[in-house]
Amino acid sequence: MAKSKWNNLKGLIAAAGVAGVIFFLCIPVSARDDGECDENRPDRLITMAAEYPGVEIPMDEEEVRIDLIFHNKGRSDEDVDILITDVPENWKARVKTYQYSVNKIHAPSGEDKTVTFEAEPDKKAAAGKYKFRIEAQTRDGEFKMAQNIFVTVLEKIEGEKESRGVKLTTSYPVLRGPSDGNFEFSMEVESKLDKDAIFDLFGQGPEGWDINFKPAYESKYISSLRLKENQNSTVAVEVKPARKSEEGEFPINVKVSSGDARAEAELTVILTGTYKLEVGTVNDLLSLEAKQGKPANVSVYVKNTGSAANKGIEFMSFKPENWNVEFKPEMIDVVEPGDMKQVEVMITPYEEALVGDYSVTVNVEGEKVTKPVEFRVTVKASSAWAWIGIGVIVLVILSLTALFQKLGRR
Amino acid sequence: MGGVTAILKKELADHFTSYRFLFLFALIAMVSLITAYMAGVNISTQLVDVAKPRFVFLMLFTSSGIGFSFVQFVAFFGPLIGLILGFDTINRERNEGTLSKLLSQPIYRDSIINGKFLAGVAIIAILLTSILLTVAGIGLLMIGVIPGIEEVFRLFIYLIISITYISFWLGAAILFSIIFRNVSTSALAALAAWVFFSFFVSLGANAVANALTTDTTISSSEAQMTRAKIRKAVSLISPMELYSDSTITIVDPMRRTTKSMVQMGWMEQLSITRFSGPLPLGQSILVVFPYITTLIAITFICFGISYAVFMRQEIRSV
Repeated sequence: MAKSKWNNLKGLIAAAGVAGVIFFLCIPVSARDDGECDENRPDRLITMAAEYPGVEIPMDEEEVRIDLIFHNKGRSDEDVDILITDVPENWKARVKTYQYSVNKIHAPSGEDKTVTFEAEPDKKAAAGKYKFRIEAQTRDGEFKMAQNIFVTVLEKIEGEKESRGVKLTTSYPVLRGPSDGNFEFSMEVESKLDKDAIFDLFGQGPEGWDINFKPAYESKYISSLRLKENQNSTVAVEVKPARKSEEGEFPINVKVSSGDARAEAELTVILTGTYKLEVGTVNDLLSLEAKQGKPANVSVYVKNTGSAANKGIEFMSFKPENWNVEFKPEMIDVVEPGDMKQVEVMITPYEEALVGDYSVTVNVEGEKVTKPVEFRVTVKASSAWAWIGIGVIVLVILSLTALFQKLGRR
Repeated sequence: MGGVTAILKKELADHFTSYRFLFLFALIAMVSLITAYMAGVNISTQLVDVAKPRFVFLMLFTSSGIGFSFVQFVAFFGPLIGLILGFDTINRERNEGTLSKLLSQPIYRDSIINGKFLAGVAIIAILLTSILLTVAGIGLLMIGVIPGIEEVFRLFIYLIISITYISFWLGAAILFSIIFRNVSTSALAALAAWVFFSFFVSLGANAVANALTTDTTISSSEAQMTRAKIRKAVSLISPMELYSDSTITIVDPMRRTTKSMVQMGWMEQLSITRFSGPLPLGQSILVVFPYITTLIAITFICFGISYAVFMRQEIRSV
């Protein structure tokens, strides 16, 4: 990351500084001079220069690094103290080598010594021009040097994502759905580079969310993508919310990068809660008895166990032909989350239904969720005939006894 | 009960010592045992694809080994027991002149017919019970399945219905023996009745059903249903139909109706096969309760008629 920033900075500087170009041109010239007229050099002469005295950086850049070059043109070695005198507010600055902070350096005769000036803005640093001043002097105070460095922090231009070399476009940046659903964004990644490149894909969302990239119409997950020059490709971003996500709006940040080229896109998922219904009977009994042609009642509750209100719940029954299943009420307008509503189900078997167990399924069809409940309806034979039969037998026995009495000849 | 017990004892003694009874018993026992044996052999092949067989023991009585099952056999040939036991009850006594001798004893006249009928019923009960137990014993030996309590109950009810059914035929035979003075006439009349109710009623029911429906070539389910209903209604005249319908429902718990034909929609079929369990005993009984009631009632009525006819007859002059 730091390296890529450093590269960016170099790019910026190269584009900006004409002075820098001149400086570059000068170095080989003076170096040649040194080599040729070694004897003509003065006794002592040391200079200090910043490689890029003026730089421009974007707002969110983390740090600025500029090389300071000490140029010993004299014939004796020099020790130099370095001090940063001017540091603007909200900035930290130091001089360092590749490893340590430095406040004294040793510049051998006829050689260049390079250290790095590093300035780091904190979050509060606003856009504007900042001045840093670096002073240096030899041990004996003979040579005093000063160098101003101007760092211009550029205003961030709203809306324009920092994208170079690659473009990300989404047709539907906002998706809406239930909390337990999956969301799939379709994104087009367009390479503007003039060579093949592998682009890394990053996604960042709320904690616990799953963000995966898939090629369009394929089910494997990918984390990088190879694009030829000026080619584009569609990538699906699959977002799975965390298990217990609340309702609300959640931003998803998607980045594509390959070396210097990068692009970002902001996606939004709006969760509407989950749709879940629980259906059962009060005593958990799912069997009932009925007589042929006679209605049997069962109370069914519909409980909303989801996190969104469920509207317009209707009932369907899956029953034998000629049977009748009625619901009271026929429709439930709304069940709030955690709420419970009761429905009376009236099942009337066919008049000529066979004795035995039948299956009657009631489908509770709510918003985005359907819950079936199966009832075992035991059709029982009517016992009315049994009483009539017993009556007939009693009658027959009574008349037989009467016959015995009358004709008994006792 | 003056004299009934004496008559009953004498009649039982007569029956047990008669060759007629011996032959009858031997014949029925043999056929029943063969049926049971064949059923026992067949059960194992019938149960091949059944995941969890239930009421295996009852299958001994319902599965047909050599063309007919035990239950069917009793339905067809059981009436013969009653007929053979009863066709000469009164007229033989009358022809031999023993009836007036009997009545000169201190015995009431109704004791004679009551005692004779009860003796016949007792013989039938002994016969059927012993055969049933023997078949059950063979079943235990052959298939090694112990009957559950419900199966025992079902068999007990089956036994009661069977005794009632055969007693009906006994009553009918006694009635013939009262009406016809000639033994062979009453025997032939009884046999004719048996053949009529056993074979011709079902044929006649078919004919009536075809005659009443307009076009017999129509094979729509609607027309078939009406024809089946008419056929059923006509054939219910026969006590054999009453008996076989009620016993098959009692012995086979999976049977839900006595109808020979049931129209069932596709959904209904799906719905009822979802829990295709056996019926509880109470439900099985309730399904065929009208049949059982009718069977008991006609048995009583048949005996009542013969009683009334016998009591009004002139006896001593003959």
